[in-house]
Amino acid sequence: MNTIEIKDLSFSYSEDITALKNINLVIKKGEWISILGHNGSGKSTLAKLIIGLLKADKGDIYVDEVLLTEDTVHEIRRKIGIVFQNPDNQFVGVTVEDDIAFGMENLNFEREDMINKIVEYAKKVDMFEYISKEPHALSGGQKQRVAIAGILAMNTDIIIFDEATSMLDPKGRESIIGYIKELNKEGKTIISITHEMKEAVNSDRIIILKDGEVLAIGETNTILNDKEVLNSSNLELLLPLKLMYKLDEANIKNEKVKDILWQLSLNK
Amino acid sequence: MKNIIVGQYIPGNSFLYKMDPRSKIIALGLLMISAFLFEDISHIVYMLVGVLLILKIGGIPIMRIARGLRPIMILLLFTFSFQVVFIKTGDVIFDTELTLSSVNLILMILIILTWYFTRRYIKSRFLYLIIVIVGILTMLSLFSPGFKISSSDFVIYEDGLLGASFIMVRLIIIVTLSTILTLTTRPTDLNLGLERILKPLKLVRINSEEIALIISIALRYIPTLLDEANKIMLAQASRGVDFSEGKLKDKVMQIISLLVPMFIISFKRSDDLANAMEARSFIPGNPRTRIHILTWHYRDTLVMIFCVVVLASTIFVRVYL
Ligand SMILES: Nc1ncnc2c1ncn2[C@@H]1O[C@H](COP(=O)(O)OP(=O)(O)OP(=O)(O)O)[C@@H](O)[C@H]1O
Ligand SMILES: [Mg+2]
Repeated sequence: MNTIEIKDLSFSYSEDITALKNINLVIKKGEWISILGHNGSGKSTLAKLIIGLLKADKGDIYVDEVLLTEDTVHEIRRKIGIVFQNPDNQFVGVTVEDDIAFGMENLNFEREDMINKIVEYAKKVDMFEYISKEPHALSGGQKQRVAIAGILAMNTDIIIFDEATSMLDPKGRESIIGYIKELNKEGKTIISITHEMKEAVNSDRIIILKDGEVLAIGETNTILNDKEVLNSSNLELLLPLKLMYKLDEANIKNEKVKDILWQLSLNK
Repeated sequence: MKNIIVGQYIPGNSFLYKMDPRSKIIALGLLMISAFLFEDISHIVYMLVGVLLILKIGGIPIMRIARGLRPIMILLLFTFSFQVVFIKTGDVIFDTELTLSSVNLILMILIILTWYFTRRYIKSRFLYLIIVIVGILTMLSLFSPGFKISSSDFVIYEDGLLGASFIMVRLIIIVTLSTILTLTTRPTDLNLGLERILKPLKLVRINSEEIALIISIALRYIPTLLDEANKIMLAQASRGVDFSEGKLKDKVMQIISLLVPMFIISFKRSDDLANAMEARSFIPGNPRTRIHILTWHYRDTLVMIFCVVVLASTIFVRVYL
């Protein structure tokens, strides 16, 4: 079953800044897809189009078979949660508790229900002991976890992570990626946006954007083995992948070494 | 910069903390009106005693209130002196002649210079200033050898002194009452209380919920922005901008070098924040359920009745006595 279907989508911020050109993409229910691309390749623009924060110049977006229009945008936003890059710019509440509640308040949840859900999801992202803390007392990773709890509480089927880990230290990054894996296992459809290959290796599929166009879409294994595509994507290659390609070029065919490098690049 | 707290809330658990913010805000309003209606010095002194009693029962240290009064000290002193000097009715209670002579002029200049150069080492500068001023006046009145340059009469009348004290006490009461409110109410509760009180404004198309949301976002972002200002200042300082010294022109340039990046960052921030809010299904003007509710207790009703009685009796005194 398809969750999101994007047909021939184009968008420009102004006449001379075309951010996306003729994007076609199908995202299946329950899958984890990574949108990988260099800085300015149009990743965030695509995310904002999907949740209707920007309006496409051309093309259609369907979410659960519903066409995104001005009339359906609010209905569609109930199905998609998004965690943005900057932890500080998306924390709306005065305290952790308030912030987790913000989306539920907008969706007119009953108060009792909200209180239960706040506890449930604060525990889920290990932020329960911070529930009455203010954001300036939290680390970036903790704020991102609060954002995740807020989205989980709204019970959206799809969660977009727009470089949600890029402003965090390695520890914060690890923990967020851990939650992404867990949520995907529990059946959420995950769209994770990144410019770092190592954050994409665990997903089911990868789409590579370059200068606003789709350079490649495919299974993660296929994409990572596609030397041509990766080399032309303007992305920083993972070191083990680089070594693998170098071995290939030098015509060294040691399957064992190659396998070890492959496992390394998949972070296993 | 991890410890910036907006507002001056100090945690506690006296009855002032247990009150509903709505009743506290309304009580503050009623009592302030009363303070403005009193005309008799003795009545307002009773009120001051009452306010001190509230402090005592509410377990609020007087020192916290004194700290709240500090910013308006200059204003208080100014009004006081103004009233004392310019109201010339009633009995004379103090009369002296201030004489400026060749000797005490020089002494006066010396004292002022000493004050000017030593004041930075003195902890309570305000007290120091008052002592110096009183000292100079005393000298002018009692000690004037040498030849006379000029002299003038300095007379204090009863009405002037009473009027001045009256205004002082009134201002102190008002500041104390509002300090009690901010000391015992979390900014968020204060905000929520205001939102509920202002709800009837919907009739004139003012949405109190939106105003409250704006205030709460401001509360939430003030520490972040201060933090940012600090970072920018450090960054500028590392490029050689000195924020502590310099002439007025340099100061202005320093402030601009702080404000420009602050503005740019804040625009980006508010853009992001608006996106994040919209993405979480926020629709301006739409009804929202709330997790925070206020509960009105028995004691709130009691306090309301008490304040209404106070106001009613002031009006009674004002009209009939
Ligand atoms: N608000 C805007 N106004 C004008 N141009 C914009 C705006 N936002 C983005 N752009 C431009 O659109 C293009 C795509 O930007 P986008 O933010 O989608 O890239 P991205 O892939 O998310 O990059 P990054 O990795 O830096 O987040 C860029 O060339 C960018 O400069
Ligand atoms: Mg981006």
